[in-house]
Amino acid sequence: MKKNLFTLLSALAIVSLALAACATPAPVAPTAMPAKAFRIGLVTDVGKVDDKSFNQSAWEGAQCGAKETGGTTKYIETTDPKDYDKNIAQFGDEGYDVIVTVGFALGEATIKNAAKYTKAKFIGVDQFQEKPVAGVGGLIFPEDEAGFQAGVVAAMMSKTGQIGAVLGTDVVPPVWRFGEGYRAGAVWAKKDTKVNIIYHNDVGFDKTFTDPEWGKTTALSMMDKGADVIFGAGGKTGNGALLGVAQSKKGFAIGVDTDQYLTVPEAKEVLLTSAMKLIVPGTCDLIKAVKAGSFKDGNVVGKVGLAPFHDTESKVTAETKAKLDEAQKGLAAGTLKTNVAPAKP
Amino acid sequence: MTQSEKPSSESHSQSSLQNIWQAITRAVLVPVLAVFTALIINAIIIRVSGGDPILAYLGLWEGAFGSPKAISETLVWSTPYIFAGLSVALAFKGGLFNIGAEGQLSFGALISAWIGFALPKLLGTSLPWILHLPLALFGGIFAGALWGAIPGWLKARTGGHEVINTIMMNYIAVLLTSFLLNGPLKDPNPFNVIARTPEIAESARLTPLIEGFRVHWGIVIALLIAFAVWWFLWKTTLGFEIRTVGANPDAAKYAGISVSRIIVLTMSLAGGLAGMAGAIEVIALNHRQELGFSVGYGFDAIAIALLGRSHPFGVVLAAILFGAMRSGATRMQFLTQIPVDIISVVQALILLLVAAEEIVRFIYRIKAPKETVVLTRGWGG
Repeated sequence: MKKNLFTLLSALAIVSLALAACATPAPVAPTAMPAKAFRIGLVTDVGKVDDKSFNQSAWEGAQCGAKETGGTTKYIETTDPKDYDKNIAQFGDEGYDVIVTVGFALGEATIKNAAKYTKAKFIGVDQFQEKPVAGVGGLIFPEDEAGFQAGVVAAMMSKTGQIGAVLGTDVVPPVWRFGEGYRAGAVWAKKDTKVNIIYHNDVGFDKTFTDPEWGKTTALSMMDKGADVIFGAGGKTGNGALLGVAQSKKGFAIGVDTDQYLTVPEAKEVLLTSAMKLIVPGTCDLIKAVKAGSFKDGNVVGKVGLAPFHDTESKVTAETKAKLDEAQKGLAAGTLKTNVAPAKP
Repeated sequence: MTQSEKPSSESHSQSSLQNIWQAITRAVLVPVLAVFTALIINAIIIRVSGGDPILAYLGLWEGAFGSPKAISETLVWSTPYIFAGLSVALAFKGGLFNIGAEGQLSFGALISAWIGFALPKLLGTSLPWILHLPLALFGGIFAGALWGAIPGWLKARTGGHEVINTIMMNYIAVLLTSFLLNGPLKDPNPFNVIARTPEIAESARLTPLIEGFRVHWGIVIALLIAFAVWWFLWKTTLGFEIRTVGANPDAAKYAGISVSRIIVLTMSLAGGLAGMAGAIEVIALNHRQELGFSVGYGFDAIAIALLGRSHPFGVVLAAILFGAMRSGATRMQFLTQIPVDIISVVQALILLLVAAEEIVRFIYRIKAPKETVVLTRGWGG
């Protein structure tokens, strides 16, 4: 028995050595990097860099920034809110030049660590700064305006006069602002539109943006009750809503953050557009600003917009396009206001 | 041992030492091989998916034990794992399957946080730490115990299975916490938009063990409690009664043990241990209760208890292993950029191999022991 055991153990040891031998060197070995290289680290919120939404956009922005500045970039995915500090410190201790922290929830940890790692510049995506903090740039977006435009399209395209929104949690101000902007836009376009907004508030931060099943069933039940355009916003939860609409094939869906025609191709037949925060260029530009030395503390307002209609282009009516154009011009000129507060009162 | 002693006693003590050594080897052999096998399988998975397993494990090791800070972080992760693992293990000893550690933990944390921030305001005076800290800690323990006692009582009284009822209690605890943190207990600070309580008062906080590190006195308490649980189970009458009910409730009843009383007691103690995990996280680390602060400690605890063979010392080792993996994952990802989910894969593989230990015995040709370990009785048992 003993002999067999040792044979097996040594066989396994040999296998693992063989694995090591054929393992190619890591693509980016930390020690191989010259000390002067411009290094960008990114810490996600509880979520993944391939979430086809928020974290992914920031990661693409970091990659763009690395390319533009000739630097390198790495990411760490957070699995537990108590690790925010630790994950940021991983980059701080290594002396990274830029640390991108993605998401509102990392705001406190970002400010705390900016005081500790003064050499690094911090880019807080979606982190509104109450007052400027040394070394921290908060990249924020007028989500209400993006939501407003989405609401205009939704109201104009709805045949039943009922539209819905399936969102993450309203304790995160950007999500709430998307929702309220959507409501305002819909009512502005067609006064008697019924807007049903549901937040996934019944679960923790670990779940609210990562629950596609809930998003799907909620979207389906909204459609059963008569809504025919659904706005899905909130990471994978929102993606689930888009999939729900795709499954029912009865109405239209509107995505969020990025052009979800590209990120959720399963829903492309029903996807009207996406209320986009232009996170990729926003993050990329800030990284370039750090490199160029023009980085400023405090808030930086990024851009928002609607994604192209793609496959649904032919179904979008001329009135919808005209109304959307009117809204976009009004918002740009400042003559049209969404009247949405910065956060849920 | 000196030469002057009688050779007979020497040989006797040597053989008993040998026996103990053999018993320990037998107890840890399967879990250790399960972990080893899981790591090998995982290395293959990493390799196949294009990563470098050696660098990954190096990162995991560095991130878990490579520096004083890394060790500190590992212990921070291990602390709730030890308490929650003990909770599940203690219930196993009593023949009960406590899936409710998650809910007990979350309810314990909630009450602990409430005592931490609201009690001074309620009394209109600040409390000395010598009073406030134990109150917050024991409040959490008591809350967890209550949360465990309810399914225990239901089982003893009605025969309702604790697996179902503890899962139900998890939902109640999580949703109740969600409601309270979004509503009545939410931090009233106008800048706060997160569902969380205000920070607890300084007087309710457990200090860091070493200045500058996050590791706190909770780990010391955890180790003491692990010892206490061992002592309780194997050196006291009550512990003996719990183990007897766990092994054979009919025999226990025949021997004059009140089985219902022991079931309620076991579940209360298990709940108290889980509640303590939550309370310590609040008073020593987070200083508040926040929605989603526990990412499945209560569920990982089941794996930890199984890996630790439901023995308190085994639980401590398993908890440190799991803590190390969670803590080292950051460094691993930093070095290799492979998904941290790979850690969950290792944990799942370990759980699978420990639960179905026949696989391990088959791979390594180990004979099964004569006596079998009874974890829980089946339905209606």
